Amino acid sequence: MPQLIIDRREIEVPAGTKVIEAAARLGIIIPRFCYHPALGSVGACRVCAVKFLEGPVKGVEMSCMTAAQDGMVVSTTHPEAMEFRRYVIEWLMLHHPHDCPVCDEGGHCLLQDETVSGGHGLRRYLGLKRTYRDQYLGAFVQHEMNRCIHCWRCRRFYQDFAGYRDYGVMQIGNRTYFGRFADGPLESPFAGNLIDLCPTGVLTDKPARFKGRRWDLERAPSLCLHCSLGCNITGSARYREMIRVEGRLNEAVNGYFICDRGRFGFAYANHPERARTPRLDGQEVTWEEACRTAAHRLTRISREYGPGAIAVWGSTRSSLATLGVLQRLCREQGWLGPQFFNSPSRERKVKAAISRLDAGVAVSLADLEKADFLLVAGADPVNEAPMLALGLRQAWRRGATVVVLDPRPVHLPLEFEHLPVPPGGIDLCLDLLVRAAVSHSATEGLLPEAAAAFFNNLSCEYPGDQPLQDRLVSLGMKLKESKNPVIVCGLDIVRESTVVLAADHSRLLRAAKDRAGLFYLLPGPNAFGAGLLSLAGEPSSPSYADMLAAAEQGRIKALVMMETDPFRTFAGQPQFLAALDRLEFLLVLDYLPTPLTDRVQFFLPTTTVFEEEPSGWVNQEGRCQQAAPIYVGGRPISQEGAGSHPPRVFLAGIPGGEPQPGGQTLAALGVALKGTGAPLYLEELDTWLAELNPVFAPLLESKVTHPGVRLLPEARGDYAFSHPNKATLRDVPDDHLELLLVDWTFGTEELSGYAPPTQEVEQPPRLTMQSRDALRLGLGPGDRVSLALGGESITLDLEIVENMASGMMVLPRHRQLAGQKFPEGPILVPLQNIHKV
Amino acid sequence: MPGEKNRLLRVTEGLVALIQGFWTTFIHLFRKPITEEYPEYKRPLPPRSRARIILTRDPDFEERCVACYLCSASCPVSCISMQSAERADGRRYAAWFRINFSRCIYCGLCEEACPTLAIQLTPDFETCQYDLLTLVAEKEDLLVDHGGKNQEYNYYRYAGVLVDGDKGGHIQEARPVNLKSNLP
Ligand code: SF4
Ligand code: SF4
Ligand code: SF4
Ligand code: SF4
Ligand code: FES
Repeated sequence: MPQLIIDRREIEVPAGTKVIEAAARLGIIIPRFCYHPALGSVGACRVCAVKFLEGPVKGVEMSCMTAAQDGMVVSTTHPEAMEFRRYVIEWLMLHHPHDCPVCDEGGHCLLQDETVSGGHGLRRYLGLKRTYRDQYLGAFVQHEMNRCIHCWRCRRFYQDFAGYRDYGVMQIGNRTYFGRFADGPLESPFAGNLIDLCPTGVLTDKPARFKGRRWDLERAPSLCLHCSLGCNITGSARYREMIRVEGRLNEAVNGYFICDRGRFGFAYANHPERARTPRLDGQEVTWEEACRTAAHRLTRISREYGPGAIAVWGSTRSSLATLGVLQRLCREQGWLGPQFFNSPSRERKVKAAISRLDAGVAVSLADLEKADFLLVAGADPVNEAPMLALGLRQAWRRGATVVVLDPRPVHLPLEFEHLPVPPGGIDLCLDLLVRAAVSHSATEGLLPEAAAAFFNNLSCEYPGDQPLQDRLVSLGMKLKESKNPVIVCGLDIVRESTVVLAADHSRLLRAAKDRAGLFYLLPGPNAFGAGLLSLAGEPSSPSYADMLAAAEQGRIKALVMMETDPFRTFAGQPQFLAALDRLEFLLVLDYLPTPLTDRVQFFLPTTTVFEEEPSGWVNQEGRCQQAAPIYVGGRPISQEGAGSHPPRVFLAGIPGGEPQPGGQTLAALGVALKGTGAPLYLEELDTWLAELNPVFAPLLESKVTHPGVRLLPEARGDYAFSHPNKATLRDVPDDHLELLLVDWTFGTEELSGYAPPTQEVEQPPRLTMQSRDALRLGLGPGDRVSLALGGESITLDLEIVENMASGMMVLPRHRQLAGQKFPEGPILVPLQNIHKV
Repeated sequence: MPGEKNRLLRVTEGLVALIQGFWTTFIHLFRKPITEEYPEYKRPLPPRSRARIILTRDPDFEERCVACYLCSASCPVSCISMQSAERADGRRYAAWFRINFSRCIYCGLCEEACPTLAIQLTPDFETCQYDLLTLVAEKEDLLVDHGGKNQEYNYYRYAGVLVDGDKGGHIQEARPVNLKSNLP
């Protein structure tokens, strides 16, 4: 560990640390443009010059290119270094336009800061300034190339870090140009990070264009809710409107970056149709009256028909406080529920996954980047949890092998092995692969008893596909060599057995090599929290569908819907609306303008994650993190003033400021129901949760601080392997195709579906199938097909690909198809239901 | 007693000061007055005196203000608020611009901060009103049809961003780099 002195202060840093980093550890921030901790050094901008006084290097050198060595004495404030830096700034500013007033970067511009701090105040260069033509780069990123200082950060991120090729560098020397070969939207779903990275105003946030200066924004650390990874963000609001989201460093989760769904999907919070006042029988009422009436009606129904006549639905997009209080209310009152998942199989999968995670196998996204063999079972990272794709790429850049077992046409920005097997085949592949990898340990008797028993039960052939089987065995040989394998398992399209098998196999690998990880993708930002509550809530709550049936038969008289949109599950089902109509009391609480909010008589508005109160969220590895409130809420001033100036009135309150955090509303309802004896629902929540499920205990001991608290049991030695029947390939009948409903990066996720910027880039839904199946059906590229499903038919474009499993069709759960009801479980579509139109 | 003596001295001194003060006032009764009668006579003020604020236009008759927020940031009493927006041709402008004159202290810092010479203070100081709300001026109340103290400056001739035409057309700019050619 080299020891050096920077500005008269001593520091010891790990070998290989650059001087610029070593200084940062002392709190000395050396000016920089091209250096970025995630992208490394290139030495392009020359602004990080410092003076080396003693030691192996002497003179003015770049601190980002020089590794710290023993005996170095460095001065960042030496006159020679300061003068050097001043000239560098002046030279970087030679061609810089006179743009700051109309530049969105102004106010948080690194170039402005360094120019001012470097002391370059007056322009001496009087020659002509170089100019560039700008490009259209899509809906997210604005391009203004004159402002470029050629730091190369954008290209290094876009191509090296993220692995996309359509943005890069052209020309040479003073004419160097950063852009695309031709105008067009950036292809990478991580392109938004260019905005954060570019130290100047070349690449700026287009949806937030001209919305305000950094100094006017209300900013706070928050969390992304657009998938289960729980990436950290900084949210910015102004004039009661969320206007911008940036990536926020969490070394254990997302690093510096986020995906574009997380960056541009926040605008649901500003939705003009969001209902913002409590409503009772169509009339706007006060909170007190709303709570009193709701409690009164629920009490009456409970008295008349028993508490079981009241059912409660929740979802995975509510904060931990909301979920917890909801659960507690149900317990206390004896209501049915809460049911947090929209389908029973999904609930079972989530429970299976989180009950098998422990502190020993669970890996974070950051840990995953250090794995050397990644086995991805039934996950399509770019579409389901985009940042996972970047994580996989970082692992791959470090030399990891990535194998994807998935029927979908998976694309990843890295070289990987895709084995397009049907969902039923994933189990077999897992078995074969891991079997090949650990068989030597098994034969040598190195496996503990339980693991050996599990090993003996593994399938050893893939029926009818010898080449695949050989391939799996050879990949298994690679897995055998790996020291730190991780199994990634999506929950969406896989069979329930796969979720269990992924856990079992990670334990088996662990038994054979001491180290192995498990990484699940869950449905929704707080699916883990909801799952923990569901696990503790035995006997499990009836499913949505069962509750609806009971309502239709008149056994359920009241339904409480907490931040859930049943139309996403049941739209187009006539029984659904009939069942809702038969209810005596339907209470809806939400922060989204779902189709339900307009229909119901009794509505209570809740706040989004950005408003009013801090909220806790548990991501897919069990990490509980906190999102701080960004602003107090209320209807955006832009909507109040209809684009012009705000209304000319004096008001005491905030217009549209009525929504309250869901947990708070439920607690108030609980107090109204129980009267004075009611517990302190929110204040005692953590204690109550810890009693309910001991994994919540860490919440009691420490505040949830950065980088989050893991709610996971300790690793136990006695992991109970499942004894699944030998995995078999359940084939699709010849005259059918299996329909897989899948997620897309844009267009299928609920929250971003309400945000105009992400709506703008979503593609229309299309049906994807393998070329052999298309041939069988006599379909060709570019055809439009109609697909009959449960009595209805939808018409869409057909996409024919090679890299997917045959016997399958892939259809996104698209916002624009939301009116269609898709049946539960594997959907088999007879060939005659697919027509060319 | 020394205390007695001091008191007597102080009383005498006080009386003398009193009489001197009144005497000066009395003398002024017979001097020629130099004050102007206001509002009967309104003195012409120097153009740089600081009172009511206007938003000026550039020589092309476009609004000069680009809604850069520098005036509102520099305002010590935070009486300027605005919303920037993009015009169809890409020009940045203020969708609305509000100055609360009941808070304004006419310090002139906004004018000093303004990079486009848009916001200017004028000598018109008669802005008193009974109703506070009438002192809240919107953009239409502030915008004038001239350039104020400077009729020539046009920020958009210097900025690098494009509003119309091709890049490189602004003052002191070279033709845009041709990406498809290696010739210098
Ligand atoms: S990039 Fe920075 S220095 Fe350049 S115009 Fe924009 S704000 Fe000003
Ligand atoms: S566009 Fe931005 S990030 Fe890219 S080289 Fe220029 S200044 Fe650097
Ligand atoms: S990967 Fe998921 S959590 Fe992360 S930014 Fe994207 S949508 Fe948000
Ligand atoms: S400083 Fe000038 S250009 Fe900027 S917002 Fe104020 S008036 Fe407009
Ligand atoms: S930061 Fe060191 S050369 Fe750019």
